[in-house]
Amino acid sequence: MTAASLARTGTELRRALAEARSGWSPAAWTAAGAVAVAALVPLLSLPGVRMDSLANTVYLAVVATGLGLTVGAAGLPSLGAGAFVAVGAFTSALLVARAGWPLEPAALAGAAAALVAGLLSGGVVRLRRAFVAVSTWLLAWLVWLFLLAFPSVSGGAQGLIVPQRRLLGLVATPTVHFEVALALLVLSAIAVAAVRSGAPGLELSALRQAPPLATALGVRLGRRRLGAFTASALLAGLAGGLSVQLSAVADPTAYDPFLSFKLLVAVLLGGAAATLGPAVGVALLGLIGLASDPLARLLQLPIERFDTAVAAVLLLFVLALGGGGIVPWLCVWLRRETRDPEPNLQVTDCYKAMNAPGQVALRAEGLRKAFGGVVALDGLSLELSGGETTALVGPNGSGKTTALRLLSGTEPPDAGRVLLAGRELSETPTHERVRLGLARTLQSAASFPELTALESTLVGRGVRRRYGGAIRTALATPRSRAEDGAAEEAALEALALVGLEARAHTATPELTTSERRLVALAGALASEPKVLLVDELAAGAGADELERLAGIVQRIRARGIAVLLVEHNLRLVRLVADRVIVLAAGRAVAEGSLAEVAESEVVRSAYLGAQRL
Amino acid sequence: MTIALQVLISGLAAGGVYGLFAAGHSLVYRLTGIVHFAFGDLVGLGVFATLLVLAGTAPVTQSGAHEPRFLGALVVGLVLCVAAGVATYVGIVQPYLARGSTVGWVAGTAAVAFAIRAVIGAAFQRSSYVFPDPLPFHRVGHAGFVRVAGAQVEARAFFVIGLALALALASAWLLERTRFGRALRAVADDAEGARVVGVPVDLFVALAFGLVGALAMLAAIAAAPGEAVNANTGTLLGLKGLVAALAVRFGHPLRAFAAGLVLGVVESAIANVHLGSWQLGPSYREVLPIAFVLLLIAAWPSREALEERE
Repeated sequence: MTAASLARTGTELRRALAEARSGWSPAAWTAAGAVAVAALVPLLSLPGVRMDSLANTVYLAVVATGLGLTVGAAGLPSLGAGAFVAVGAFTSALLVARAGWPLEPAALAGAAAALVAGLLSGGVVRLRRAFVAVSTWLLAWLVWLFLLAFPSVSGGAQGLIVPQRRLLGLVATPTVHFEVALALLVLSAIAVAAVRSGAPGLELSALRQAPPLATALGVRLGRRRLGAFTASALLAGLAGGLSVQLSAVADPTAYDPFLSFKLLVAVLLGGAAATLGPAVGVALLGLIGLASDPLARLLQLPIERFDTAVAAVLLLFVLALGGGGIVPWLCVWLRRETRDPEPNLQVTDCYKAMNAPGQVALRAEGLRKAFGGVVALDGLSLELSGGETTALVGPNGSGKTTALRLLSGTEPPDAGRVLLAGRELSETPTHERVRLGLARTLQSAASFPELTALESTLVGRGVRRRYGGAIRTALATPRSRAEDGAAEEAALEALALVGLEARAHTATPELTTSERRLVALAGALASEPKVLLVDELAAGAGADELERLAGIVQRIRARGIAVLLVEHNLRLVRLVADRVIVLAAGRAVAEGSLAEVAESEVVRSAYLGAQRL
Repeated sequence: MTIALQVLISGLAAGGVYGLFAAGHSLVYRLTGIVHFAFGDLVGLGVFATLLVLAGTAPVTQSGAHEPRFLGALVVGLVLCVAAGVATYVGIVQPYLARGSTVGWVAGTAAVAFAIRAVIGAAFQRSSYVFPDPLPFHRVGHAGFVRVAGAQVEARAFFVIGLALALALASAWLLERTRFGRALRAVADDAEGARVVGVPVDLFVALAFGLVGALAMLAAIAAAPGEAVNANTGTLLGLKGLVAALAVRFGHPLRAFAAGLVLGVVESAIANVHLGSWQLGPSYREVLPIAFVLLLIAAWPSREALEERE
């Protein structure tokens, strides 16, 4: 290692320490204190509390913390977390019992097996939430029915006896397991918190709130969600693989679909929106279990039935209150004074001119698309040049939005091709087109209701990030943190470009509809596009706003960006368009300056119909 | 050949019951866009209420049922099943649909499922019960078995197949030909539009939640005396129905019914058919179809199953 790199590492470490010190809040003190107290629990002998069930509860809290990523961050209602616990547990148990492996590699193999199971079933994350719920529910049943049907794997009714092994060189007593589980819980909570507050968390949150807008901004839906889903599976498998060693027997009945449900209950009870919510939920369920034990005995009911009913009723209660769970509720209640983030208004000019003026940035040739028998677009060809604003106008149903969809890759064309700076895009998916510099805004006024204007804009910056992956974010690598700052500057500049820098820290619900549209535009700009496709910028805008919108389009054009404006508002077109293309029934019927096309006979008949007024 | 016939008939009998559960799942999904995780357990509730009125919680013998008493018990079970279905929609599903909270209805219906299973399990604590048989099938043929083209087939199977088909066709008639059915189809197409033209959407959907439960419960009770029942019976039937409905991506209820029939035959074939020395065996009966459908939906999702994009 050279002296320079050592010095750099030292600087980075000092900076990280300083950041940690400034970020060290009372909440962090509380959490650290709670962990320290929890670590000392084995020294006390609490009446009615058994060390092994306590350690198991902490392992369960690890699983729930991981599940928080899927349910809370990604918003996917998973009913199958228990399946991954079972896969991890039985892999680990079989390796120890049949192959004589030591404990630690067996538990890691359990985590790996759960990860593989997560990848195999991970295709379901692309589906709508209802289908995600069904698929994960089926997965939970599949694993359980498999264990019941194959006693050779699961040990049948007696379960699989797991011989005791040493854990980290120590005799694996419940106390050792408890400390290991607690360490695992702290590490996983820190990692989950880092991911959720970083770039992956922001993108997951955007995908949860408005999938069409997030994917149009270049967020990779399948990849991000698969990441959350498999990370949950990995933690579930690891905790399952460790906890089965503690119980010394792998009993298939312990992994029925109710385990999955109980985990979901814990997440929702504690609060899916908070990193620590799921763990708190597990602790609460454990306490309820302790309290209900004597009650069930009094009523002469089998304890597992009683627990089930209590968990189910509790969940219905939490859902009926409409709350986000205990931890978010406590946070709101405890937060006496909210510190408004000071708007950082140092807008730096970090955008380069994107294209040489006049150079063709995007070329489309013979684009054709039919839906059933209806031809929506019939051989459209166009060229967009850097620093030029082209308006695509035409009556309703003339194929304008279809043209944008084909250009941005959300629909495949039946024929024709799209070239971006000479590069053929036929097989290129939307997010890759955004990365290559072809951005687009949507016609709908979709927005991310839980994010601020700046955060919404940052979603669009994701495609320019190189160190925003989940693993780098979880480890908070120096590059990843440096990039956080740069991304924020770029997003702020994009907001300034649309004139909203003063609203950067405003929550989306407090923005007006036209401001939300502009935030979406800023998101597209934050991806540093060479070509920008804008769908109905002036929809719903008042006459007084047109000048402002025109100013924004002019500023964007001045950056050398090629702008294609799909617009109904001809006043805006007159203010900004260098060139106008008129579409009618899927064909370009006229092209030229607005004055030229307005004179055209074809255009008049397309707009006004054959009958003259 | 004889085995194939046996497999086919017993498979169709099981599949007829699955089919009605599948049709119910499908109709519920098309009406509301939700998946009813408590469907099977609600039906189980009706079945066990019937059993409770008939014979209490004691283990029962086949000869315990007398016709008038059976009918009374059946009515009690059906009423409870319909009421529970309606209550689930009104209390659990509708509020979260109105709020647009997916996690809400998923967790809510799952909670109802587990709560009902816990209640049934607390009242009926043995590992299995025999459902009394009001119809004297054991007097038909050889102790209830008849020979068809050399195959030994349970006489009850024909009754279950016939009843399931009749119920499926009756519900298809209800959907296609009656005012109520037309209104339901309108809701499935466009709930907001139906509301605008004056369809009492919430009332009709709530009724549909109850009715699909009643249909599935009739089929489940027709088949119940053939096998031991326990608290998991309803849950598993609901699961099989869900597998069949998912295989046709919650398509038309009649298609879901057909998928249920196929699932029954496939399960029966997996358990019994061997090609030469190669045989899957009963262990694979339940896991293979679930694994197959999961793979199907994960690898080849239909367009409407995919998350909404631009």
